[in-house]
Amino acid sequence: MPIVRRLASLGRNFIDGVATPFRLMWEQRGLLRLLIRREMVGRTSGTSLGSAWMLVQPALQMLGMWFFLVIVLQVRSPGRVPFVNYFLVGMVAWTMLSEILQRNLTVLVEFGTLYQRTIFPLPLLPLLPLLVSGAIYGTVLVVVAGVMEGPVAAAGAALGILLLLIWLVPISYGLAVLGLFVKEARQVVPFALTMLMYVTPILYMPEQLPSALRTWSALNPLADIVALLHAIVQGEPWSLGNLVRPLIIWLVLTPAAWMLFKRTEPHMREAL
Amino acid sequence: MSAIRLCGVGKTYAQYARPSDRLLEVIIGRKRHREFVALQPLDLTLNRGEVLGLVGMNGAGKSTLLKLIAGTILPSSGQVEKHGRISALLELGAGFHPEMTGRENVYLSGAVQGLTTEQIDGLYAGIVEFSGLADFMAQPVKTYSSGMFVRLAFAVATCVQPDILIVDEALSVGDGAFALKSFKRIMDFKDAGSTILFCSHSLYQVEAICSRAIWVHRGGIVLDGASSAVTAAYGQYLESGLLPGETPPLAAQAPAVVAMDSQPAESIAIHAPQGQARIAAIEVRGGGRVDKELELESGKDDLTVWVQFASDPALPDPSLAVTLVRADSSIVASASSHNDGFSVGRAVDGRGEVELTFDKLPLLKGDYWVTVFLGCERAMHVYDHAEMVARVRVIQQGLAQGVVALPHTWQTVSDRSAGG
Repeated sequence: MPIVRRLASLGRNFIDGVATPFRLMWEQRGLLRLLIRREMVGRTSGTSLGSAWMLVQPALQMLGMWFFLVIVLQVRSPGRVPFVNYFLVGMVAWTMLSEILQRNLTVLVEFGTLYQRTIFPLPLLPLLPLLVSGAIYGTVLVVVAGVMEGPVAAAGAALGILLLLIWLVPISYGLAVLGLFVKEARQVVPFALTMLMYVTPILYMPEQLPSALRTWSALNPLADIVALLHAIVQGEPWSLGNLVRPLIIWLVLTPAAWMLFKRTEPHMREAL
Repeated sequence: MSAIRLCGVGKTYAQYARPSDRLLEVIIGRKRHREFVALQPLDLTLNRGEVLGLVGMNGAGKSTLLKLIAGTILPSSGQVEKHGRISALLELGAGFHPEMTGRENVYLSGAVQGLTTEQIDGLYAGIVEFSGLADFMAQPVKTYSSGMFVRLAFAVATCVQPDILIVDEALSVGDGAFALKSFKRIMDFKDAGSTILFCSHSLYQVEAICSRAIWVHRGGIVLDGASSAVTAAYGQYLESGLLPGETPPLAAQAPAVVAMDSQPAESIAIHAPQGQARIAAIEVRGGGRVDKELELESGKDDLTVWVQFASDPALPDPSLAVTLVRADSSIVASASSHNDGFSVGRAVDGRGEVELTFDKLPLLKGDYWVTVFLGCERAMHVYDHAEMVARVRVIQQGLAQGVVALPHTWQTVSDRSAGG
């Protein structure tokens, strides 16, 4: 019976972990709109280009990386997709993912004054980086894919970003808790993300990896995510493993992260 | 019908060596903290429309109790039942985003309160008007002074009549005119049936606003009753350090000495700023002299206090009060124009003069000080006060003991028995 009860609890937490973020986004849409707008304005306030910087800045970042890899290092594609196209799609998605995860490490501290002495829907806060970065980099990726591959690829990019954002929800909740209670996480996670970027086929194509290392890349779920994104946007080959591995991780992480967030929520105001 | 019901509600804060210990404890379920009891388990019921004052020293547990009722912290034991919409002003700037403008924060706080954008649109003009910050709404609130913060926070928190309003010392930050406006709004809510919890170090305000008060001491309620009785007991505690039911050690009964040099002289302001009133001059007369130090004979000399004040003509007529206090700050006697139903008249420019006379001063020998208060028309909010402006030394003939000669009569009991 305890096993049945535990499974039932896991099931409840899974449903809550999936449904609550969507329910909150709808119920608190007014509050969310204000917070997102403030994020957007805060990023570019006082600059002459204003909100245009939100698209120009990542575009310049991509341009710099492209110059370094394609012009300076002269990296060439072994497949049918030009390297620059491959690189841009992967890099935009990775920048978004990295920004969301790093921001979630500090989001509960950053908004402490908003909720420490008030009644505030705390589970809304980890969704903020997801929505802000998703809107910015999602737009960039759709434009990049549309220009490079056409409208079907642009639609694929939008779908890919949406699925990636949903996949990142439990990780965002987990990192938000970790960032609040374990200060070391704010030092370790950025380093871990940099290392993950190097072992994920973003700055190079999977075919360029030595064959001995290709087996190991199966242990990196982000390699699967990047492979799926390239498949949706650029028609690159993918395997069932690319889909199953991230799906299993998501199914496991969703109830675990939600349970962790709900258990620690009563302690968050006191932990600040 | 109760608006708030607390059953065995207590709060114990956990102290961790490292923040990560808190997370480990939640995950593993093994205790990794030391405990600090902020509030012992207590029961409290507050009926709808009741106005409860909270008094007590800093760190006594008042704010913890208010936070538990507001729901910003969870109790370690017991249950909190609340019926109705709550608005809470728990801390200056709480719930505001420092980078957002005043306008954005109005919408943010409104949204957190559960109001829709359309509802806030409709309330916005009233909020700005009440806060008096129309020229600053486009500025980030991080540039606001503490007074501006509290103006906006109070205006938003009270833009819709809450079923339960919680105010924790927040109003002490605002200026006099705004504090008066805020008190009026609180009184309007009170009249309209809101349940109000009001925490203040001003015992006078607690007594004026609240029908009931609790005295919180070291995490427990030591007294719960009529606000006048609770504030009196707490005031006594502040003077003597004695809790209800305790008796003083003999050595502790000597009065404190207050140096005359440290007392402020009377104010000489001529005009009061908008929304305020000021004491302009005070004269204390008795025994044919006007001085800051008088010697009067008990039961024979009159004591007269003359007060000149200036007030914003737009305000209603203010009220005046005079207290006679001893060196240990205990109030021996007082007179209030509001309490006596005396209307303080003014000229059209807002200036006025009032004279109060204590006929044949019935105080017994000793030193007494005169303190003057200038308050609002309901004697709720104090615009200005002048503490201990004059010392009155009372001398007496005879050996009567105490501080006051009460009117009395003597008769021989045997006469009555003989007659019967």
